[in-house]
Amino acid sequence: MVFVFYPIVDTIYMSFLEKGTGEFVGLDNYAEVVSRKEFLDTKRLANFFGGPSYGALIHNLLWIVIHLPLVVFFGLLLAVFLRDVKGSAIIKSTIFLGIVIPLIVGGVVLRFILDKDAGILNGILRAVGFGASVRDWTIYPDTALITVILGSVWIWTGFSMIVYSAGLQGIPVELYEAAKIDGASRWKTFWRITVPMLKPATIVVVTMTLLWELKIFDIVFVATLGGPGTASTVMAYLMYLEAFYTFPPDYGTASAIATILTLMTFGFAAYLVSRMAKS
Amino acid sequence: MRVYRWKKSMKRNKGVSQAVWMAIVAVLIIIIAVMGVAWYLTLPAPEEEEEEKPTLTVFSLWSGGEEENFLQCLGNFTEETGINVTHYHYTTTDLLIGVPMQLRAESSVADVIIAPWPAWILELASEGHLLEATNLITATKYPTGYINAVKDANNKIWASPFKASGKPGFWYKKSFFADNGLSVPTTYAAFKTLLANITAISGIEEAVASGDTDGWPLSDTTEAFIMGLGGYQLQEDLITGPSARNWTDTEVRNVFGNLTELLAADYFSDPAEWTSQITKFWDEKYGIYFMGSWMTTMEQIGNVSDLDFFGFPGTDGVGGSVDYLIIPKYAPHPDEAKELFQWLSGADAQEIMVGLGGFFGTHADVPATAYTTLDKKVLDFISQPTIHIVSDLDDAVGGKFQTTFWAQLRLLWVSPTTTTMNDVLDALEEQALAQQT
Repeated sequence: MVFVFYPIVDTIYMSFLEKGTGEFVGLDNYAEVVSRKEFLDTKRLANFFGGPSYGALIHNLLWIVIHLPLVVFFGLLLAVFLRDVKGSAIIKSTIFLGIVIPLIVGGVVLRFILDKDAGILNGILRAVGFGASVRDWTIYPDTALITVILGSVWIWTGFSMIVYSAGLQGIPVELYEAAKIDGASRWKTFWRITVPMLKPATIVVVTMTLLWELKIFDIVFVATLGGPGTASTVMAYLMYLEAFYTFPPDYGTASAIATILTLMTFGFAAYLVSRMAKS
Repeated sequence: MRVYRWKKSMKRNKGVSQAVWMAIVAVLIIIIAVMGVAWYLTLPAPEEEEEEKPTLTVFSLWSGGEEENFLQCLGNFTEETGINVTHYHYTTTDLLIGVPMQLRAESSVADVIIAPWPAWILELASEGHLLEATNLITATKYPTGYINAVKDANNKIWASPFKASGKPGFWYKKSFFADNGLSVPTTYAAFKTLLANITAISGIEEAVASGDTDGWPLSDTTEAFIMGLGGYQLQEDLITGPSARNWTDTEVRNVFGNLTELLAADYFSDPAEWTSQITKFWDEKYGIYFMGSWMTTMEQIGNVSDLDFFGFPGTDGVGGSVDYLIIPKYAPHPDEAKELFQWLSGADAQEIMVGLGGFFGTHADVPATAYTTLDKKVLDFISQPTIHIVSDLDDAVGGKFQTTFWAQLRLLWVSPTTTTMNDVLDALEEQALAQQT
C-alpha cells in the first residue's frame, strides 16, 4: 500500500498543482499537456504519411499497433516450430536473452545494430548490393521511430515465445491424435486446436506486452533520445523531461502525463484481465 | 565412637578449610584489583591518534585527455595536502539530472562538482543545495562576467570559475590543406568555396565533421553561424529570450537559412559520436571540424603541431564557456572540499592545467607564458578587441530549452529543408517563451 498506493495518489494530486506556487489549478496541467505538439501534433497526424513526429501519444499507440502483433506472431511461430526440435532449449534460451538483459543495454545493442558504420543491418545491406540504402537509421525522422519499434521486437519476443511454449505443453496430446484420425491437415489442426487452446496464453502475452509498450522509455532514451526533434518521443520520455530537465522541476505537468499514462495502462489492463477471467 | 570422632573432626576441618580458601581468594581479588588500579593510574596519557585524511570525490564531464590532465593536477593537490581525490567522469545527463536528484534528497556523493551551466548552478543554489563561495575566492581575480553568471540577486557567489574554454572556429589538418592546395577562408563566400573544394577531394566523405552526443556539438556549430552571420549581439539577445529577440525573427531565419543551405548541399556529415568524428577527421574523411579549444588535448589528434584552426569568416564573436566548481551543501567532507575548491580556484593549480594544454585559466595571475603555442594562438584569437566572447547559448538558457535546442538541431541536420527549418524555429520559440514565463 505504502509503496504503490501512496505514490499513485500523490502523483494524481500533484497533477492538479501549479509548478511554481503549488496552487490548485484544476485540469490546467492536463490541458497544457494535451495542447502541446510534442504530445499530440494534430497537423502532422492529418498528414500521416508525411512522416513523424505525430506526438508522444500517437507514437505510443504506434508502438502498440506495430510491435504487439509482431511479438505475438513471432513468439507463437517460434514456440510452435521449436516444440519438437532437438536442442530447442538452447535456441529458446538464446532468444530469451533479450528479456534477461537490461533494457538500457538492449537500447545500446539496438543502436549498434542500426549504426551506419558498425551496424549489422547496414553490413547486410552492403553485402546484398543495397549499399545506397545504408544510413544511420536512428537519426532520421522518417526511420527513427519505426526502426526502434521493429528493432525492439527481438527484445520482447523471447517473453511471448516462453509463454506460448508453456501453453503448448498444456494442450492434451489426445486432441491432436483425434484430429489426425479425423484426417485434419496440419494447418487446420493449428487453427482449430492450437490457436484456441492458447487463448489464455495469448491474453497474458497481449496484456504484458501492451503494458510494456505503454511505459516504454529505456530503449527510446538510449537509442534516439526521443528525436530527432520529437520524431520518436514517447509519453514516459516526455514525463522524464518535464520532471528532471525543467528548472525548477515541473512536477505538475510531469504528473499529469504520468496520470494519463496510468489511466491508459489501467484501462487496457482492466479490459484484458476481464477477458482473461471470462476465458 | 572412633568413627564418630573422625567424622566430626573432618567436618570441623572442612569448615576451616573453606573459610581459609575464601579468604585467600578474596585477598587475591583485592590484590589484583589494587594492582589493576595502580597499573591504570601509572599508565602514560594516551597519545591522540592522528586522524586519517578522507578521500574526496569530484564529478566532472571530463574524460580521455582532459581527465588525464585533471588527474595530474589533482596529484599535485594530494602531494601538497595529503588528501586523496577520486575523480568520476559523468555524462551530461548523469550530471544534469543525477546530481539535482541526489541534492534534492539532501545527500551528495561528491565533495566538489565541476559543471559548465551557470543557470543550473543558480537554480541549485536557490533551492539551498550549495555552499556559498563568496568568501572562498577573491572575486576580483576573475573576469567579472564569469563571476556575475553565478552571482544571485543578493550578490552571493555560488561557484568558482575554474576552466575557461573558447570555441574559436573550424579545426583543420595543416598537411591536408597543404597537400590539397586549400587555403583558410576570409569571407563567407570563400568559406562556401572551401567546402565545395574539400567535398571534391577523393576519399573525403563530407567537408565538415558533425559531432554529436545528445546534440551538443551541433549547437556549438550553430552558434558559430549565429555569431558569424548575425553578429554576437544576436546570440546575446537570443540568450536573453523572447523579450529581446524571437527565434522566428527575420535575422534568425536568415542565419538558419544559410546553415540549412549548406546542410542541404551535403557539406556536413550526419551527426555521429563526437570523439569518433575526431578520429575520422584526423584520418582525412572530413576536411574541417568545428570544436572548442580542448581539441588540442584530444588523444585522437596524432600530432598537435599539424593541427590549426580558423575562425568563422568575419565573425565578431566566439562562444565561450566556463567550467565552475561547486560544493554541495551535503558534501561528505566539507572542510577538505573547501580546501580543494580553493586550491583549484588558485593560480598555481590553473597554471598546471594550462601547461598540460587545452585549458584557459580564469585566474588573473596565471602567466601567459604557461600556454602551449597552439593554445596561445587560440587565446590571442579570442582576445582580439574585435571579438566578443559570448556565453554558450544553450548552457546559459539551460533547462528544457537546452534539450529542445539539441533535439531540434539533430532534426535540422538530417532533414535540411525550409519546412523543417521553420518547424525547428517555431519549436525553439515555443520553448523559449515557455521558459521565459
